[in-house]
Amino acid sequence: MAILEEPIKEVLELKNYINGEWVESKSKETWDVKNPATQKLLARVPMSTKDEVLAAIQAAKEAFPEWRRTPPLSRARCLFRLKELLEKNFERLSRVQTMEHGKTIDESRGETRRGIEMVEVGTGIPSLMMGYNLEDIAAGIDEYVIYQPLGVFAHLAPFNFPFMVPLWYSPFALATGNTFIVKPSPRDPISQVKLAELIDEAGFPPGVYNVVHGGAEAANIMMEHPDIKGMTFVGTTSIGREVYKKCGETCKRAIVQVSAKNFLLVMPDADINATIAALLTSFFGNTGQRCLSGANLVIVGKDDGFYKKFLNAFVETTSKIKVGYGLDESIQMGPMQSLDGKQRVLKYIDIGIKEKAKLILDGRKPTITGNYPDTCFINPTIFESVTPDMTIAREEIFGSVASVMRAKDLDEAIQWINNSNYGNAASIFTSNGKAAREFQYQVECGNIGINIGIVAPMAFFPFGGMKDSFFGVLHGQGKDAIRFFTESKVVVQRWF
Amino acid sequence: MVLNTCSQVMSLAKELEGQSAHFYKDLAKRFSRDKDLYLSFADENEDYVTQIERAYYGVITDAFEGCFAFNIDPEKYSFKTELSEKEALSDALKRALEIEEKMIHFYSDAAEQSKSLMADVPRAFRMVAKKRDLRKEKLLSLLPVKA
Repeated sequence: MAILEEPIKEVLELKNYINGEWVESKSKETWDVKNPATQKLLARVPMSTKDEVLAAIQAAKEAFPEWRRTPPLSRARCLFRLKELLEKNFERLSRVQTMEHGKTIDESRGETRRGIEMVEVGTGIPSLMMGYNLEDIAAGIDEYVIYQPLGVFAHLAPFNFPFMVPLWYSPFALATGNTFIVKPSPRDPISQVKLAELIDEAGFPPGVYNVVHGGAEAANIMMEHPDIKGMTFVGTTSIGREVYKKCGETCKRAIVQVSAKNFLLVMPDADINATIAALLTSFFGNTGQRCLSGANLVIVGKDDGFYKKFLNAFVETTSKIKVGYGLDESIQMGPMQSLDGKQRVLKYIDIGIKEKAKLILDGRKPTITGNYPDTCFINPTIFESVTPDMTIAREEIFGSVASVMRAKDLDEAIQWINNSNYGNAASIFTSNGKAAREFQYQVECGNIGINIGIVAPMAFFPFGGMKDSFFGVLHGQGKDAIRFFTESKVVVQRWF
Repeated sequence: MVLNTCSQVMSLAKELEGQSAHFYKDLAKRFSRDKDLYLSFADENEDYVTQIERAYYGVITDAFEGCFAFNIDPEKYSFKTELSEKEALSDALKRALEIEEKMIHFYSDAAEQSKSLMADVPRAFRMVAKKRDLRKEKLLSLLPVKA
C-alpha cells in the first residue's frame, strides 16, 4: 500500500499569530518538530519571549470590547465560515496531524471530525447563550439572567491531540464573545498553525484569536497575568495541579483535564468479538496516548474457560496489529509521539517485570511495516496477572500497554476502580443490563462506557472527569462550556 | 493482503469505482448504440464515491474502531476492465454484469463488517449495492435474447 502524499514538503519556521498578523519571534531558542515515524525535521518552533506573550494578551484584551458587541449571530457566522474551511481542508489537516504526531490516518481524520463538531456546536450560540427570566417575582417586578462573556481566555494544549483539544474550548469561548490565546504543545504545534491560518481566512477580527508558541515560561506568564480571565489545560496531573493552584491565586476560572488510569471490565456474558475490536481501539488507538485509553483490562468472574478464551483472543488479535507510519493506510498503530514517551513506556514495562506481572506480549522490540527508524516505535504490550497494588496498575503509562487483571466479581472490580486516584473513564462490556446499571451507578469516574471502548463525549455533552483526572467545577464542551465562558448577570427590574 | 482499516476500504471502493467507470467509458466507445447509458453509469460511479466518502468523513471519530473494523480481501473483488477488439457486445455485457456482481459483493461485505460503526457508513455501502442491483437489471435488458 502506497504512502499517502505528505502535505509538509519543507521545514517550516513557525511564527506566532498575534493581532491578526503572523509575527516572527525574536527568541533565539527553538525546538525541532520531527515526524516521529520518519524522524524527518518538519518545523522549528520558537520559545516566544515574554514580550511576545504579553503582546498576545494585550491584543486579545483590546479586541474583546468590539468582539463582545458583535451580535452572537455574526459571531456564529464566523464559525460557519470556519467550519466550511475546515471541511475544505479536512484531508490536509488530517495528514499534518499524522506527520507531526504519528497517529494513523484514520485516527487523524477522526480527530479532525471531532474538532469540526466543536465548531458546529459553537454555531448554535444564539440559542445556547440565551438566559432565562421570570415575570412577577413580586408584584410588577421581573427577574432575568443574562450570560455575558468575561474577556481573554487562554489554553495550554497537550501533544496527544494537537488539532482537536484546543477546539474543545476555542469555539465556545469565541462564540460567547470572549477572545482567545492558544499555546500549542511545542512537540506538535503545526496543526494549530494550520488551524489559525483558517481562522484568519474565516474573517475573525484581529486579536480575537491568537497563537503564541512556547513552553513553561509562556504558560506561567499567562497564568499569572491579571488580564486573562480563565485558563484551560489538558496534560498531566502533576502539572495540572500547579495550573489549578496558580489560577486560584489569580482568581481565574479553570478547566484542568489531566491524567487517567482507565479500567475496562469484561463480564463473562460479553460479546467476545465486538468487545475485542473495541478493546484494540481503546488500548492501542493513538498508541495509547490519550486520557480515555484503556489501561487496565479486568476480566470478571471465576470461569477459567471464559478467562482463557477471552485472553487468548485478545492477545492473538493484538499481536497482529500492524505498526508503522500512519500515512500508510494499512497501519493500525503509529509510533509514540516522542522518544521521551517511548522511554517512559519502556520504564513501566521494566517495572511490571520487576513487580512479577507476567509479560505475555512483549512490544519492546518493534516490528515495523516499512523502512523507518525504530526511534519512537514500540509494539503493543500485554501484562497478565497484574494486581491492583502494582505500579503498572496504578500509574498512568500513556502508551500501548494493557495490564490484565482478574476480579472475582463485579463488586470487586468496581472497588478497584474506585480505589484508583484517577476518575476519568471506565467501561463495562456486558449483555446484562443490571450489571451495566450497577456499574454506571457505583463507579466514580466522569465518563462511563457501556460496551464502548473510548468514552469520548460528543461536542454537545460535557467531557467528564473526577478525582485526580479533573480539577475545576465546569467541564469542557456542551452546556458546561457555555457556562464556563460566561458570567451570569442577574437583573431585577421594576418600572414605576 | 487483507484490509483492516476504514481508510483502506475507502480507497478500495474508490479504486473499484474508478476501474468500473473506466470499463463503461470503453464500452461506450466500442458500442455506440447505448453509449449514453454506459456513460451515465460511469458518472454514477463518481457519485457513489462521493456518497461513500461523505458518509465516512462525516462520522469517522475515535469513538469507533476505525483501524480494526474490516477483514476484506481485495482479491475477491478484482475484475478485468480491458475490452479486447474482438469482444462481442453480448460478451462485454456479461462482463459488465460480472463487474456489478463483484461490486455488489464488495459493498455487501463492507456493509456487514461495518455494522458496528455509525449507521451512516454501512447504510452508504448498502445503498450503492442496491443501486448496482438496479443497474444489473438494465444491463440484462440489453443482452440479446437467445432464439
